[in-house]
Amino acid sequence: MLREAEIYGSQGLFRESLQKYIEARKLIEENPKIKNRASLLAAVSKKIRSVEKALQEVDQAPAATEMSSQEQDLVKKLFAYSPDKDQDAIELEGALALAKFGQFERALAEFKQLQEKDNLRLAASKNIIRCYMAMSDTDSAVDEYTRWLESERFSRRQMEHLGAFFQNMIDKRGLDVPLPALGTVQGGDATVMENDDLAEDEIIDISSIVIHFESGPQAGKQLAVEVSFQTGNVVSLLISSRDKEFIEGLDVGVKLNNLQFFSPIAIFKGSGVVTAKTRIASGPKQGDYSLDIRITGAE
Amino acid sequence: MAVFNIRNREIECKIVYYGPGRCGKTTNLEYIYRSFTKQVSGKMVSIDTDGDRTLFFDFLPMGIGRVMGCDVRLQLYTVPGQVKYSSTRKLVLKGADGVVFVADSMEIRREKNMLSLKDLHNNLKGYGSSVFKIPLVMQYNKRDLEGQIPLMSIDQMKKDLNAQLKVPDFEASALTGNGVGATLKECLKLTLKSLQRELKWTE
Ligand SMILES: Nc1nc2c(ncn2[C@@H]2O[C@H](COP(=O)(O)OP(=O)(O)OP(=O)(O)O)[C@@H](O)[C@H]2O)c(=O)[nH]1
Ligand SMILES: [Mg+2]
Repeated sequence: MLREAEIYGSQGLFRESLQKYIEARKLIEENPKIKNRASLLAAVSKKIRSVEKALQEVDQAPAATEMSSQEQDLVKKLFAYSPDKDQDAIELEGALALAKFGQFERALAEFKQLQEKDNLRLAASKNIIRCYMAMSDTDSAVDEYTRWLESERFSRRQMEHLGAFFQNMIDKRGLDVPLPALGTVQGGDATVMENDDLAEDEIIDISSIVIHFESGPQAGKQLAVEVSFQTGNVVSLLISSRDKEFIEGLDVGVKLNNLQFFSPIAIFKGSGVVTAKTRIASGPKQGDYSLDIRITGAE
Repeated sequence: MAVFNIRNREIECKIVYYGPGRCGKTTNLEYIYRSFTKQVSGKMVSIDTDGDRTLFFDFLPMGIGRVMGCDVRLQLYTVPGQVKYSSTRKLVLKGADGVVFVADSMEIRREKNMLSLKDLHNNLKGYGSSVFKIPLVMQYNKRDLEGQIPLMSIDQMKKDLNAQLKVPDFEASALTGNGVGATLKECLKLTLKSLQRELKWTE
């Protein structure tokens, strides 16, 4: 039993090791005839104390720590998913990768730099809010937001969008934090969003979708499909010919109000509209359908 | 997601070592790093705590030469096995082309193995895949401890973990290296086969 405890301990399985030592101690205590009982007990008790200490250290290890800067560079390189995109996209995704791995300080520094670029300003700003909120530092997020309001770098549309985004995050966390009003902002011209669709950067890597049918012959049913390709807020799905009955209800222009998106960092609901539907005419996927859905909203 | 560069005929694929905390994932990579020096193409990076527990991931880049006219580069990763690092585990799993599931043979870790396999399945589902779809190989690790502490029988482990999956499985000791190479080779074989199908890559 002691050997077992010893081996578990050496493998870093302190909980299991502790349990064995405690069993052993009990056994020794209950058997007065054991040789060298006193010294054995003392030795086991000493072991128990040291394993307890080790266990405590493991349990208290921080959930996230700061990596070295080389390690952070590696994370940027390995986890920025941007096959042949432009440099801006790569930089944004690199900073995002840092944020996902909890390297908020550096991520923030990079997002702040990316704010200097007109085309990345909105995306970078949102991620700055995200980072502060993930760090539970609402105060800094509000300070930052207030500074943006006072600066002239953002258009009114952009600030409206950021305000709504921020408010939504605050609400989701059940916080009661008042945001400064928008009234004072000058109208700018650098409008990024053309329409009311979700801005591209809002959507990150959707891996699969569940379509809940609310009307038509399939009402009440649902169809889970992998995303085969994604550009911005348009996802392409491959629907097998086996699911023919569903395909009929999915014509171009059909609005889907009950979609569930699965992304690496979250599962969320939203809506979309079918923008393309093609029957695959040849090759191994012949007979299947390729469907494009533009995501129009997400909660 | 493998990166396939048709012009240079280069392919880069990702194999992730998954399994419960302390089952020996990092030890697998360390053994590979030491023993397959010809194929190892860069330094092994471990981002861990003082106590050797993986905190973020281990990373080991390899080059395995030409396969069907393509230069194959391989990236090996381990995930942190401790339950509390679940979000990092999922991040590291992203884009995996193949998975090695390292199970701990020690009887006291039986339930942890099963929970971890379920966790793998859930995370893969989040990426639109599943344990049934992804190239997967099972490793029953720490067999060297036979006779020293209570281990599960291989039959038991197969029943627990591989009855439904029926994927190739190997007994191993990451500490001595026994079975480590065989596990990796099989996983690589399955992964390349599946990529060939997916990318329709031919000579
Ligand atoms: N006897 C024996 N010990 C092993 C074997 N493989 C790993 N170990 C030991 O088990 C402990 C944990 O091994 P690691 O490789 O760090 O485990 P891990 O799966 O990377 O653990 P996490 O990073 O916490 O998920 C170490 O003390 C290893 O020496 C094995 O095959 N035999
Ligand atoms: Mg490890």
